[in-house]
Amino acid sequence: MALRALLGLWLGVVIVLGFGLPMVATPVEWYQLPVIPGLEDKARIIFFHVPTAWLAVVGFAMSLIYGARYLRSKKIDDDIKSSASAGIGFMFCTLATVTGAIWAKFSWGTFWNWDPRQTSIFVLLLIYGAYFALRSAVEGEERRATLAAVYAIIAGVTMPFFMFIMPRILSSLHPEPILNTQGKLHMNTIMLLVFLASLIGFTGVYWWMWRLQVRTEQLHHRIGP
Amino acid sequence: MAKAGRWLRSVAAVFDKDWRSELRTRYAISALLMFVVTTIAILMFSLGSEEAPQEVLSGMLWVVIFFAAMSGLSRTFVAEEERGTTMTLQLLTSPGAVYFGKLLFNLVLVTGLSVFTVLLYALFINGFVIQNVLLFTLTVALGSVGFSAAATIIAAIIAKAATRGTLYPVLSFPVLLPLLLAVINATRLAAEGAPLADAAGEFQLLVSYIVVVVTASALVFEYVWKE
Amino acid sequence: MDFLSQNSLYVVLFIVLVVWLGVFLYLSRIERRLKVLEDVYKKASQ
Repeated sequence: MALRALLGLWLGVVIVLGFGLPMVATPVEWYQLPVIPGLEDKARIIFFHVPTAWLAVVGFAMSLIYGARYLRSKKIDDDIKSSASAGIGFMFCTLATVTGAIWAKFSWGTFWNWDPRQTSIFVLLLIYGAYFALRSAVEGEERRATLAAVYAIIAGVTMPFFMFIMPRILSSLHPEPILNTQGKLHMNTIMLLVFLASLIGFTGVYWWMWRLQVRTEQLHHRIGP
Repeated sequence: MAKAGRWLRSVAAVFDKDWRSELRTRYAISALLMFVVTTIAILMFSLGSEEAPQEVLSGMLWVVIFFAAMSGLSRTFVAEEERGTTMTLQLLTSPGAVYFGKLLFNLVLVTGLSVFTVLLYALFINGFVIQNVLLFTLTVALGSVGFSAAATIIAAIIAKAATRGTLYPVLSFPVLLPLLLAVINATRLAAEGAPLADAAGEFQLLVSYIVVVVTASALVFEYVWKE
Repeated sequence: MDFLSQNSLYVVLFIVLVVWLGVFLYLSRIERRLKVLEDVYKKASQ
């Protein structure tokens, strides 16, 4: 229980810092964040929007891994873990898409413009939707688990191709404050720290929710129909 | 060596069976052709005498092919379910042979479909002119193979589901999207008359996509089939 | 209204904190109830 309380506090602090740390044109004090021209305060979204996108991917990756594990073990426990990660990943994917669109409205003027990043998170959303549509259309626990795992694998295998389409589409309006084209980190130190802390915190929330979901399903299973 | 020969013969047998029963009933073929004719007719009506820009026309071509494929390519597995012949096929052949046999069958269907669509499209849609024909032919060829690869494994997945009609495009679209983007882009390049080298990236993507999807499908197919 | 437009950043901060508090309490509640059920099950299956 103490761990959960720590997580709660951790994210609380992250939120306060994320919004509270002042942004100045030329940072002098250690706690001051630099102003990114064109973005200014909107840059703060990096602390919250990027972790949700990260978890959307993590959720799918875990779903794939447990799905593959199910195919080999045929233990329903693995399927429970697979669908649980997919469920939570789906939620975070929706959050990422929506927060991204809202940010886009403020920064670029439109909610949607088929920017490669926006397109790829949208495709992930479609995959999640398709995954759950498949699950609800199949009868029989074992068959549902098998087909869902297979689809996760097939869809997962085509995901990397999107990463290759992206650089080919020349201009992206999506900011790259973390890794630019040379692969170098050029974020201000304190900003990086808050960002990493947020990432850890969000992952912790994901983990907690996933454990809760898995335990509930396992109990459900053991109690019976 | 003998084993490989036997396996190849199984593949050919599965393909042959599907092909012959298709020729007898002509379900899939007629559905596909009718779909293409209807869709292109609608496009013609809506375009009127207007000339849409090349990017739009390139995209639309593949939209038509995509939905036509969605209406016909799932038959190879769904028909087995409907006729109750799945179990027989499971007993007689290895899953690998079934997969590749049906992959080949779908490949033939998609290629025929694409060629037919391209023909009608070129004849009836205003302003659709391909300048680099070689580029375009390669695009359609690779695109068909890619389509067949993804469509076949997804067809196998949904064959036993309840709402398979609507489920098929829903599952296929995200998986086919990289292929669609590459192929639409390449078509646009071909229409503009760009040299073959310009589409190198797209072709790289297409080839690797095909290899990856076929490999993953072949590995995973037995789990789907054994259910 | 002027106060709000001047301090809008802190208003958002406050809102997000409240939201997080709500989510946190909700998850804790689920955790507690799950624990109870799991214990009941463990006892019943012994």
